[in-house]
Amino acid sequence: MSAVEFNNVSKDYQGNQILKNISFKINDGEFVSFLGPSGCGKTTSLRMVAGLEKNSSGEISIGNELISSPEKNIFLPTKDRKLGMVFQSYAIWPHMNIFENVAFPLRMMKTTESDIKSKVEEVLSLVELGGLSQRMPNTLSGGQQQRVALARGLVARPRVLLLDEPLSNLDAKLREKMRRDIRQIQQHFKITCIYVTHDQVEAFSMSDRIMIMEKGNILQFDTPTAIRANPANEFVREFIN
Amino acid sequence: MKKFGLIVLLVLLFLLCVYPFVFLGQSFSFENGHFDFAIYKRAFTSNMTIRSFWNTMFVCGTTVILSTLVSIPLAWLFTRTNLAFKGFWRTVFCLPYAIPPFIGAIAWIYLANPSNGLLKPLLPWINIYSKTGLIFVMSAFFYTFILINLLSALEKIDPSLEEAARISGASSWHVFSKITIPLVVPSLVSGMLLAFLSAIANFGIAALIGNAAGISMMTTQIFIFQKMASYTGLKLSGILSLGLLLIAAVVFYLDHVISRKFRFSLVTGKVARPSLIDLGAKQFGAQLLLLFLSIIIFILPIGAILIAALSKLQGDRSLSNFGLQNFVTIFSKTDETYRAVGNSAYLAIGAAVLCSLFGYFLSQAGKQLPGRLNKLKEAFVAIPYAVPGTVIALALTLTTLSWKLPLYNTLGIILLAYMAKFLNFSYRIINDGVSQVDQTLIDAAHVAGANSWQTFIRIWMPILRPFLMASFFLVFMPAFSELTMSVLLTGPGNETIGTLIFQLQEYGDASGGGAAVLAFCVLVLIVILNATLKIATKGKYGL
Repeated sequence: MSAVEFNNVSKDYQGNQILKNISFKINDGEFVSFLGPSGCGKTTSLRMVAGLEKNSSGEISIGNELISSPEKNIFLPTKDRKLGMVFQSYAIWPHMNIFENVAFPLRMMKTTESDIKSKVEEVLSLVELGGLSQRMPNTLSGGQQQRVALARGLVARPRVLLLDEPLSNLDAKLREKMRRDIRQIQQHFKITCIYVTHDQVEAFSMSDRIMIMEKGNILQFDTPTAIRANPANEFVREFIN
Repeated sequence: MKKFGLIVLLVLLFLLCVYPFVFLGQSFSFENGHFDFAIYKRAFTSNMTIRSFWNTMFVCGTTVILSTLVSIPLAWLFTRTNLAFKGFWRTVFCLPYAIPPFIGAIAWIYLANPSNGLLKPLLPWINIYSKTGLIFVMSAFFYTFILINLLSALEKIDPSLEEAARISGASSWHVFSKITIPLVVPSLVSGMLLAFLSAIANFGIAALIGNAAGISMMTTQIFIFQKMASYTGLKLSGILSLGLLLIAAVVFYLDHVISRKFRFSLVTGKVARPSLIDLGAKQFGAQLLLLFLSIIIFILPIGAILIAALSKLQGDRSLSNFGLQNFVTIFSKTDETYRAVGNSAYLAIGAAVLCSLFGYFLSQAGKQLPGRLNKLKEAFVAIPYAVPGTVIALALTLTTLSWKLPLYNTLGIILLAYMAKFLNFSYRIINDGVSQVDQTLIDAAHVAGANSWQTFIRIWMPILRPFLMASFFLVFMPAFSELTMSVLLTGPGNETIGTLIFQLQEYGDASGGGAAVLAFCVLVLIVILNATLKIATKGKYGL
């Protein structure tokens, strides 16, 4: 079970309310994009799922497990949430080779050495990086580094895969291929994905559902077709065109 | 800049920062045109030299290890946790960087000398005149080199590198040991080497504590040879200086190799770090630990100096013994005081102004020099910064003597030494500023009809003002209380604050507390100057 649920979640930061009492539910195995202009709260929401930021009030749960609730004094640390994440800056550790980068989550789970080897090789070939496992990160292109990040995010079979504007540092052509590949891999694992982006083409071509945000509020949360057919308000209509 | 000006600038740079060391090397190596093996053999096989070499290696090596062990947890607390009063603690623990180490030595002599140390009643076994004492006092200063390097490196790491590890299931300890530390290895190692270099080059602590403990160090051995005032003495001290220079060169070479091998492209510039580790219940323990450390590093030594300055008779703890007697003696009955303050002010202001000017022109020259020559220029500027002060003093003495310049035993040669040593600070800061100025700003001024001079006054100066101020302060502060070079270059009537404090402490009437009075004044001045610098540059410079 890896549905993600927000219940009346708010976030205050230095006197500003950057998330305003939002509630939503992402179903198990669903691919959801958080879409909106910068400062709308989409990245903050994602980082709260990861536990990299704390919500000020409300409840967040993954599956049936309550992972954050300031009211009940519950906060599951990031390391125990069993998630995968792909960062905009790739965040590939420059002092480890590709194999070690991808193996890291398994090592933290104390997986046996032979298991690590087979799992890493498997996921590397899935992201089309088979044979590069001994290379150092600085010898890879940006696109390849992002595939390493994806492999690292998937290798431990996380409950949810979080992607924070993963393609915005790649050139247009590569972006298109990566969009298809990410979607394919998601279908392959049937893994729940939350994908943060400000690029509406990306959101509309990849997602099962899209959550459009502005100034800490959810404007509309629906399938791409429904949003196109029936934008909730003027802002959404403007934004998706 | 005109071509002629460029050439003059580079020649001056070469003469100040490179030639003296070349001259030092060759003038001791040749006797009547032949390479003089005998003197080398004598210098490097004498028991005194060998002992001082091993003492230096042991004491400074241990100092670096101890300093590293202190700096790593401090740096982690200051950059990765929600430690309370972070800014305050950071300043407190970085401040010893700006304090001359010999003042710390004096403080610890008051605190822990075996006859009437202030801590004696509490800790009867304490004795600062020992190898442990030497290592302890050195560590209490030179850890700052490692800490400051680590802090800036830790702030530059892209936070997502560490967040990625946390998502992968790594505990705080694993994030730190498997990700953070490996990423800062180059900065850590270069901080360690810098600390080592400063420790081997240090004269004040080695002399004040080492001499009394009977532990000879390379710098004090050089001093003794030179004060023999004979030709052989000068030669021996020169050769030992070359040995020290060689160690410094090896250290720099290692730094170069290591930083090449481990160079990762980390995000440059400060980055926002949104997720700090919550210390939770450990917050109180952390505060207590920092308080305890700051008492040892800071409060005890300052307290000791203040008590010594106020005691009419050292060692007497009765209330009637306290008063301003020493201040009166030092400031109204001692001629040397005014001479020393005057000399130091003149030298420090002179060095600060000249270094800033020189640094500015060297930086501007960078735009016209071909890349390789510019690299060479930067290397030249950095040489005296890396060369131990004792070596600079000796090299400048010999060079000016050989040119028949009437500088021996004058303030002029001390000024030259300060300029050589501190030029690197000025150049780096001003170059930082110059490189931030977009060329279009200058072109716009020229298009608007401004000539070079008007551009300089109306555009460059206002933009560079914070950098010039930082340059002035960062040369003035260390120059004002410099000891290592001054003590070798000073002559009658040429006392500086540093040498006067040193003489009062080492040879003068120890019960007078005169050294403590001056040391206290220097401390107050440094704290004020540092605060001024920090406010004036909005926190960019200053500790």
